[in-house]
Amino acid sequence: MTKPSEKLKVAIIGSGNIGTDLLVKVLRSQYLQCGAFIGRNLSSPGMAKAMSLGVQVSSESIGYIEKNPDCCDLVFDATSANDHKLHAPILKRLGKIAVDLTPAQVGGMCSPAVNIAECLDMPNVNMITCGGQASIPMAHALSKTHENIDYIEVVSSIASRSAGPATRRNLDEYIHTTENALKKFSSCARSKAILNLNPAQPCVNMQTTLLAKVDKPDINGLTAYFKKVVERVRKYVPGYRVLVGPLLENNRVVIMVRVTGLGDYLPAYAGNLDIINCAALAMAEEYAKKMAAVGAKG
Amino acid sequence: MTQAAIAQVRQDCCEALSGLERQLSQLKSDHVLITGGTGFVGSWLAEALACLNDDFQFGVKIYILARNTGRFQSAYPHLADRRDTTIIQADIRDFFDVPAKINWIIHAAATPDNRFHSSSPVETMNVIASGTMTLVKAVDRCVNIKKFLNISSGLAYGPQPWDLERIAEGYTGAPASGAVSSAYAEAKRFAETYCGAARSQQRLPIVTVRPFAFLGPYQSLETPWAINNFIRDALTGNVLRVLGDGQTVRSYMYGSDMAAWLLRILTDGAIGAAYNVGNPEGITLERLAQLVAERFNPRPEIRLNASNSDARHHRTIFIPDTTLATTSLGLSIKTPLPTALERTIQWNRAYHAGSAKVAA
Amino acid sequence: MPAILISDPTLRDGNHAVQHKLTLKQIAVYCDAADAAGIPIVEVGHGNGVGASSLQLGESASPDMAALRMAREHLPHSKLGIHMIPGFATIEKDLKGAIAAGVDVVRVASHCTEADLTERHIGFARENGRTVYGVLMMSHMASKELLAEEAGKMESYGAEGIIFMDSSGHYLPQDVTERVKTLTTALSIPVGFHAHNNLGMAIANSIAALDAGAAMLDGCARGFGAGAGNAQLEVLVAVLERLGYQTGIDLYKLLDAADLAERELMKNVPSISSLSIVSGLSGVFSGFAKPVARAAQQFNVDPRDIFFELGQRKVIAGQEDLIIEVASDLAKKKVNSLLEAA
Repeated sequence: MTKPSEKLKVAIIGSGNIGTDLLVKVLRSQYLQCGAFIGRNLSSPGMAKAMSLGVQVSSESIGYIEKNPDCCDLVFDATSANDHKLHAPILKRLGKIAVDLTPAQVGGMCSPAVNIAECLDMPNVNMITCGGQASIPMAHALSKTHENIDYIEVVSSIASRSAGPATRRNLDEYIHTTENALKKFSSCARSKAILNLNPAQPCVNMQTTLLAKVDKPDINGLTAYFKKVVERVRKYVPGYRVLVGPLLENNRVVIMVRVTGLGDYLPAYAGNLDIINCAALAMAEEYAKKMAAVGAKG
Repeated sequence: MTQAAIAQVRQDCCEALSGLERQLSQLKSDHVLITGGTGFVGSWLAEALACLNDDFQFGVKIYILARNTGRFQSAYPHLADRRDTTIIQADIRDFFDVPAKINWIIHAAATPDNRFHSSSPVETMNVIASGTMTLVKAVDRCVNIKKFLNISSGLAYGPQPWDLERIAEGYTGAPASGAVSSAYAEAKRFAETYCGAARSQQRLPIVTVRPFAFLGPYQSLETPWAINNFIRDALTGNVLRVLGDGQTVRSYMYGSDMAAWLLRILTDGAIGAAYNVGNPEGITLERLAQLVAERFNPRPEIRLNASNSDARHHRTIFIPDTTLATTSLGLSIKTPLPTALERTIQWNRAYHAGSAKVAA
Repeated sequence: MPAILISDPTLRDGNHAVQHKLTLKQIAVYCDAADAAGIPIVEVGHGNGVGASSLQLGESASPDMAALRMAREHLPHSKLGIHMIPGFATIEKDLKGAIAAGVDVVRVASHCTEADLTERHIGFARENGRTVYGVLMMSHMASKELLAEEAGKMESYGAEGIIFMDSSGHYLPQDVTERVKTLTTALSIPVGFHAHNNLGMAIANSIAALDAGAAMLDGCARGFGAGAGNAQLEVLVAVLERLGYQTGIDLYKLLDAADLAERELMKNVPSISSLSIVSGLSGVFSGFAKPVARAAQQFNVDPRDIFFELGQRKVIAGQEDLIIEVASDLAKKKVNSLLEAA
């Protein structure tokens, strides 16, 4: 067990459900400690939760980090894309690593199971989208086992209750960002992302299906490779489970996964929100390990 | 509280719930949260759920939110000590963590005591508005929620016009805006609309009820409502004083009927709908005083306090149209007013047994 | 005489019946006939609207923009309409191009409880001078009051009319009457109805909608559409003539257009198959019929069981991926019960 002082100090900006869930995860981490939980409204439920957990809170937003730069080395930004665009240059100036959970796309795209090592050199990483976190491991496995991927399509279904007004208003941006990420991580010629909001009660878990057209499908090769990728994903998203495939159906490659959330602060059905938090946490822990290693050497 | 008083309430619940076991069976083994457990509505609901567990093997886990658990403990020791019941001490305005297991929520936190509304209108509005907002936000994170019953008030309709026999759910009246006397009703109206907004935006399964007037055990005879005053005065051997010319019209539903209606609306009420809960049969206060007086020997005197000729201007009416609940959910009044009065008087005698204030 | 606005989605909904394989040539010939008949609005595109061509739903034989340009060329008088579902289509990728291709009418659709997904798309179409309607799909899954609430959101975003769809062909006339009455009371914009024929009620339901105050109706030549098909346009217009409504459509030329459609567009004229009846009863989107049949065959299970299981899970359009899961679950259960029996 490491002593608290050896843990990497992080701050969380954004005291909504996502930020609060992330806080619960950080407090459980062996590698991280929370130096500040920052929002705008001290009477919000997230703030009350943070205070009850004995965490330093502030309602000064990014100003708190500017005034107290020693509170953290890494900042999780769980606000909004517009806010992160304002925060990013400030964090850069202060020399803080930024793990961005908004769709701002300021930093490089990060899918921990695929490119965590590469991301360690980036001062600002973007956690893409929930559909991206669920599907990129699949697209990556496909690209490692197939040449000439013509087309990848990713269909995600999430519980209607898990999609707040911001998600709904930014549906188009979700689609565009996910499609770009699929292209970057798989080098496919064309990509398509589809999002369904399912109002069924009780709430459905997040489910993501990858459908792909490839030249010469190699299901055995893909299955073997994907198995290894899934193991890597499950290390940070324990609720990531393969439901179907990989298989060839109607001449298309099909893989379907379900993501059940950890239910830390967010409800378990909100696997779509949990998977982004889990990925962000994995990324931050990796930074912490790297810094501890550097510190040990120095 | 005496064993006789406890036994009577149980008997009432059994009677009101019998025949509804099948419709209420969705509640079996589920977790039910009641906010405002110390109040009249909350305590009757706790009694009804306890009855379903003991006499109909429902296995419901009961959670009662109370600002002052000590008060709940001393007022309802037989409920507080039950193994199926968990008392949660919290102010509803700070209740950010609803237990994740909860399946059904009955939001009854608010005092209907109009003396408190007059003296503390700010606090009255704050508890209702802010409490409802906090609870609804917290419920957003409940995975297993099946229904949320928001207890509003018939007063949210504003004053009932004298020539309207009964108020139906579609009536669009409202309390006078800006008036201090509207504090409670307006806050309830706000809470209803807030719940409607949350239902739509957060996709929460919320149903609303608008309770009217009630009588029965757990109704404090100290509250200055006509029916309580009549019973208290009769029990203490005093004159029954009727304010005005006695032609004001009210109706009363017995506590166990109310509990049965609320549970049925909780399980089967349509999401987004509002249901009146109360007795659709009105009675003048003069006739009500007579009904009370008839049940005492010697029969107490009734005195009308009509001060002058314009007494008719002070007449009011407050009667629900309950067609929606009766036709769509098959609910009915099982305890007619005379029986309800008998039982209320009997319970108060048992409850206050030994107290010198109560005449035999 | 009361006027009624007819919209013809033969070239959009009919695409479901041919796995979205309508060709540009087919689009051109039907548009010619529809325009000649004076059909007010002709809807064109993938069965699920622009931007929906996908492996999940089926790939279009005719790319969206080519199809729209072809239709535009062959519709000198009729208005050209599209259907779009946020979550599949985006403003940037799909709506902008459609508007550039000359679309007059944009129908922005969502599942009946998710109208708030349409805010930006309705706004964009309106700001660009298009006629824009809100469409609520699978409307039987919401109560009439909730449906009116969702329709009200679309009205607030600027929709000029609301069309509610009986996507599963589940309604009986009384259901339609109640919904239209609630909607027309709650809204200040016209209400339209889109019928499916799973239980043989498409025309009766359309007339019930009119009687209750609807001002817009959808119909397809020969009922060309997913599963059991839609309200049969030529029958609908004939009935409307008898009832004394004005549609502005030339009945003889419409009958000609329907004959042409049967000849040129359809492999089979829609009929109410046993599976369609099951889909209507179970309240599952009719467009699921083909993938359900395929999955039933692949996993060797009863397609009717798949439908009722999908109905239980309250599956919505766009969740076709669940069909494989349900079929594979049913197959596993079947194997298990066989093993237990042995």
